[in-house]
Amino acid sequence: MSEWMGSGHLLHLRWDLDKTYLRTEFDTVKDLIKTYRQKAEDKVAVAGARALLQALLDPHERRQRRVTFVSGSPTQMRAVLTRKLRLDGIEPDVFILKPNLQNVLAGRFRSVRGQVGYKLGALLRTFVGAVKLDEVLFGDDAEQDAFIYSLYADILAGRVDAVQLASILAACKLYRSEVDEIMALHGRIFGSGDAVRRIFIHLEARSPLDRFAPYGARVVPIYNYLQAALVLHQGEIMRGRDIVAVLEAMSQAGYTPERLANSVQDLVRRGVVAVSDVERLAGELGAVEATRGRTVSTFIRRLRSTAADLAHVRRKSPEWLTEINYLGLYHEARFRRQRHRFLGIPLLD
Amino acid sequence: MTTIVIDTCAGKDQGTEALAAAAIASLELDVQLVVVGDEDKITEALLGMAHDAERLRVVHAADPLPVDLDPHLADRQAPRSSVAVGLELTAREEDAIFVSAGPPGVIVSQALRALGRLPAVHRAALAAVYPTLRHRGPNDDPFALLLDVGATIECTSAHLVTFAAMGAAYASKISSVERPRVGLLANGPTASAAPPRIRAAHARLQDLHPGFEYIGLVRADQVTHGDADVIVTDGFSGDVLVRTLEGVATTAEALLRRAQERFQWRLGMQMLEGGIAKLREFTDWESYGGAPLLGVDRPVIVTQANSGRRAFVNAIRLGAKMQRLGVIEAVAARAAAVVEEEEEAT
Repeated sequence: MSEWMGSGHLLHLRWDLDKTYLRTEFDTVKDLIKTYRQKAEDKVAVAGARALLQALLDPHERRQRRVTFVSGSPTQMRAVLTRKLRLDGIEPDVFILKPNLQNVLAGRFRSVRGQVGYKLGALLRTFVGAVKLDEVLFGDDAEQDAFIYSLYADILAGRVDAVQLASILAACKLYRSEVDEIMALHGRIFGSGDAVRRIFIHLEARSPLDRFAPYGARVVPIYNYLQAALVLHQGEIMRGRDIVAVLEAMSQAGYTPERLANSVQDLVRRGVVAVSDVERLAGELGAVEATRGRTVSTFIRRLRSTAADLAHVRRKSPEWLTEINYLGLYHEARFRRQRHRFLGIPLLD
Repeated sequence: MTTIVIDTCAGKDQGTEALAAAAIASLELDVQLVVVGDEDKITEALLGMAHDAERLRVVHAADPLPVDLDPHLADRQAPRSSVAVGLELTAREEDAIFVSAGPPGVIVSQALRALGRLPAVHRAALAAVYPTLRHRGPNDDPFALLLDVGATIECTSAHLVTFAAMGAAYASKISSVERPRVGLLANGPTASAAPPRIRAAHARLQDLHPGFEYIGLVRADQVTHGDADVIVTDGFSGDVLVRTLEGVATTAEALLRRAQERFQWRLGMQMLEGGIAKLREFTDWESYGGAPLLGVDRPVIVTQANSGRRAFVNAIRLGAKMQRLGVIEAVAARAAAVVEEEEEAT
């Protein structure tokens, strides 16, 4: 299950938009209004996200790559969001937005707030049934992306059967029509293959890492997109020069060499990336160093010193889990949200 | 950017609270944090803490540091202790600050070796803050400064004069008091009853024009009144005094708990709840941040051995504030000015 994509495989990239690709604030009504009224030119991508996605959608490999955006933003924002992506040089193959107005008019208020029914349905609907398929998903910790993406991955892998799925959907209090649609899609897609290679969760809210441990090694919480690039480089999906592009983008966004080096150290300490991978990357970047600016040479120096500092670390990589307790995880997250709402206990505690 | 080096081998819960404070600071402050300690344990503990890994670096330090270790033997018995490694890192980075709840004796001796003394300073001083009745400065700061509280056990009069200059520089920066009032701890208001070094220091301080107001000798019972913004003493007397103040606060707290035993007393306590809460807030040492070690070339904050996360977070904030306001430079300048004036006088 941990193997990365094989040659000649179609790589399907799934992206959430708000807080994953775009820096969006929607914690208050004021934020929501501001986000809604913002022009495409004023919207800002998370540092490194654009460079990472552009590298993944390299024109030479574009035919073998597919990108689907599934966003919780309302359909009324399609024009501005499409324009923003175009400004960033990104043309998604599929771009799904949430029909919030329709949900409100139909009195389906749980669908306005809830994400499980909408996102899981969208993921299943846009599944590409290629024989040789790999998927990499990107989400964030503001909602339930790790939960939804993992559930989707396990449906594809044939690990969540109809009975299990029905009980999960019941716990999530989905409307009947949503359940019917998802169950029908499940019947078609169940056991199509263990195609999801990694699920990257951008830690926008800086949630504790152990909150994602129950999902196993497939879910990789990341503090920034350099970390995602390093993991993808380890899986040979990204090349050294792609890392340089992400690095330079983040550097331009104000990331100091210390912050970048700390991000690498964090991955090594967690066992997500091995010291040998860091050394390999330093060697690979050394080859392009001469043609690049100071950012790259400083980063290489930091990479080498990080590798030297952590030479003693023999950390076991996180385990790949074959069984995930989705119901337990759902109730745990719900309990945390309610504790926050009624008792004011911070979500991060 | 300011770098805060935190020793995570000491403090409440074997340093877990220090790490929790570092995690909080990584989310709230615009600083770089370096946590020093057992890398394995730190990484495992960090998994359960909300933190910003971009702002936090872990540095491994393997040698445990026994609490009762002779400071002079620390180098040999624990050469890679969290204190030694942390101070080494602090010395390497220009804008670094060191925060530790480790044994003060070890921190002082290793800080002097790793960081070096300021040019005009011959002895370092640990400066503790304590709450007083009179508030000071534009921020209405209730805290006064007492130094030294344990770094230099035996002092000469020259050392005490330098301590006065360092303490005044610190108070003027941190509490924004333009001309801090400085007192010399003694056993009475007249110099004749005091030991020779106090008499000599008193005479020197009266003759100096050092940019602070010298208010003369101060008895221990006047310390908490707050007439002096800075009280100067040697490390031995300072340590005894500060521990006495802490002991009184702890005993008062124990008495308050004992008062819960009887129903009538509990009722009385309920009526006094607001006042007691204010008293608790007043004597809550965790809100002070810790004791800065003055006289060394970088900010070093020593917190109490049983410090919790709040004490560490406040110590981190204090360290960042010291860096921002250029406290070390001010201390160096004031100490140099006093030494120069003394040399001119002789």
